[in-house]
Amino acid sequence: MKLWALVKKEARDILGNRIFLLVVVVQLLIILGTFGLALSTALVNDPAVLDSYGVNSAIKVGLSEDLNQSTLVDDLEAQKLQIEYFNTTQEAKRLLGTDLAAVISISSEGEIQVEFDTSNVFYPVASTKVSKAVDTFQLRKNLQSRELSEEQIKVIQEPVKLRIINLKEEEAVKIALDSPYFVEVMYGFIVPFILLLPFFMASNLVTDSIVGEKERKTFEVLLMSPLPSSMVVIGKIIPILTFSLLQSLAWILLLDLLQVPIFNTLLLLLILFSVGLGFIGVGILISVLVDSTKEANSAITLILVFTTFILFVPLFIKSGMFQVLFSFIPTVLMVKIASSPVVNPEVVVYLLPTILISILIFLGTVRSFRHERAIRL
Amino acid sequence: MNFMTIARWEFKNTIKSRKFLVIFFLQIAALFLFVMVFNSLAENLESNEALSITPSLSGFANVDVDDQGGLFTRHLNSEVLTLKNSSYQQARNRLERGLTVGYYTVPPESVTLIQDGDQVETILYLDYRDPKRSVVREEVNSTTKTLSTALTTSYLESYRPRNITKQPGVTETTSGESVPLQLIRKVMLSVLLFLPLFLFGNLIIDSVVGEKERKTVEMLRALPLTSADIIIGKSLAVVMVMALQVAMWMIIILGAGFQLKNALMVYVIVFLTTIPLVGLTTIIATYSKNYKEAGIGLTFAYIFISGLLILPLLGYIINQSTLANLSPMTMVMRLSSGETIVMGEILLSLTFIVIISLISYGTSITLFQRDKVIFGPRPSIIRLTMELMGLNKDKKTRSHKRRIRN
Repeated sequence: MKLWALVKKEARDILGNRIFLLVVVVQLLIILGTFGLALSTALVNDPAVLDSYGVNSAIKVGLSEDLNQSTLVDDLEAQKLQIEYFNTTQEAKRLLGTDLAAVISISSEGEIQVEFDTSNVFYPVASTKVSKAVDTFQLRKNLQSRELSEEQIKVIQEPVKLRIINLKEEEAVKIALDSPYFVEVMYGFIVPFILLLPFFMASNLVTDSIVGEKERKTFEVLLMSPLPSSMVVIGKIIPILTFSLLQSLAWILLLDLLQVPIFNTLLLLLILFSVGLGFIGVGILISVLVDSTKEANSAITLILVFTTFILFVPLFIKSGMFQVLFSFIPTVLMVKIASSPVVNPEVVVYLLPTILISILIFLGTVRSFRHERAIRL
Repeated sequence: MNFMTIARWEFKNTIKSRKFLVIFFLQIAALFLFVMVFNSLAENLESNEALSITPSLSGFANVDVDDQGGLFTRHLNSEVLTLKNSSYQQARNRLERGLTVGYYTVPPESVTLIQDGDQVETILYLDYRDPKRSVVREEVNSTTKTLSTALTTSYLESYRPRNITKQPGVTETTSGESVPLQLIRKVMLSVLLFLPLFLFGNLIIDSVVGEKERKTVEMLRALPLTSADIIIGKSLAVVMVMALQVAMWMIIILGAGFQLKNALMVYVIVFLTTIPLVGLTTIIATYSKNYKEAGIGLTFAYIFISGLLILPLLGYIINQSTLANLSPMTMVMRLSSGETIVMGEILLSLTFIVIISLISYGTSITLFQRDKVIFGPRPSIIRLTMELMGLNKDKKTRSHKRRIRN
């Protein structure tokens, strides 16, 4: 009951802290910002998405006047590209990269010359669409110069036919943008980042709670209460861990509202709980070692830089040698768990080291806290 | 020159502090990690000719495959897809249980069909209950396209009559640097150069808020020094530390093989930016009651300032806007990448630095002069802002003026 009293007091302190509420609001802004960024980058990277939203007017292609009557124009228009004609190629090239995404001209030998400026934001989409149009044009020209049967033409135009059959469409999960780029960026980086945000803040709350007591000289009184010192620490961390988990749960619901469905919530909460325990453990260790909030803040900032490195860099690196090791990183596991409706049971095996290391960090730091020198005032 | 005495004290104290030295070198260790990551990302982008920065997503989605010829499976991206050979029945069973996102089936006689010049019909079954369906669809589409292009070329070649000469082809040329590569090479490099500026906010907080917490601010105020001497002296010491750190970081960045043109000019711009940044941090430190409040204020202020520095730079990459040169970070990016810059653009950036410096130091000095801000009870930020803007005079001042009028 005494522990419960301490938990309630700490929870009240956190909830009454206007700065904590401000931090929650800032996280909300970060989530909406990153979601918007993922949507907009998917838009400029995915031709299908760009077509479906009808914003092709942004992609302009410059053509020399002598191509005006060519069937290439029809092929480019079929790709929904905006065409602008220029008297000379030089004139068009001056606008390449700024107003124009590509310039197409024809040489005296009849060769089609396509020039792109890769610094144009729409280069990935422009490149795909122009290549498709030029390939179709070239293929038509090639087929015209040969005497082929209809059957042969059909095979040459489409030697491999792909039929896609959609299963369980009636139970389809709604996704904000059914684009590979959006799905990869959201699940591959943004989801673990968002769900871990509250825990990055948690280590700061721990140091503030413990070092704050040291600074206000109230820790001595707290330690004189009929509670073992380890219970004091546990009493302090229960509300922090609970609030962090609740925040992560709220962000999961928010992502669901934004049509980024998150699966296996319970398993994700287990990973977050383990990572949180590790973060809080490090927070306690820092609180034990430092004398002031200022020192604690500096140390926490540095620790967070290294932790960010360990947690997020493996998401972006392809390494044959370390790939097996990367499979144990909590963020890598979160990517697989959050995006799969049914999770492979072997994931639990990969999860064990995270749970074990977190518990060890936590127990080790609680033990160090009980040491008399550590709680010196 | 009284402020020089203060600056000397503060600088000596900072350099002597063992904790400062530990943090100083840990930051350099962090820089090495950043340099490693950026180098690896840039190499990755260049080697794969990738055009976007996306996660590597090893084994992101499960796909069952039935391709006895093996030709199609070889072309599927096995880095993103975990492939499993299955029969139709097994795959449908796995699809039903949600263990795989898709089932890709290729006719068993695919190789013979290709050899005979016949069309190969493949089928992809996609589970729409899985959000990764678009990734699988894209990967299979991409494989189909790759094989189709190769086969089309091969068929055309085999059907070419002897009297027909080869058709003129297509040449594709590219110029400029892709946006992701620019982001890695130019933007990240600029961010790295400006990073030390944001790591030493705690020094000025410690220097000003520390005096309040240690209750030594009364003594400091009693010294025969003006508020301007104290604020400028303390800020100057931090600016000097930052100048040292920026120089060290630049040496490391150059040593790591990053191309940094106009290095001296870049250093001057980064160094000049420290002046308004320290000024803005001093406002927070002067107003804050304690470390905790200052720390939180500093975090939010730095997020805002980073945005002010980075957003114009991104704007410049997209549309080369002249106004983007207001941000010193844009100027540093352009200088370090060897772009030609006209004097007007440099002046624009410098004017911005000077204006923000004057406003920030003026505000900090005014705040430090006010007993209510230093000793309390502090006026609210809104009231203080209105007072500083001359919109709402202090009650005491108003009653004092009223007495004079009477």
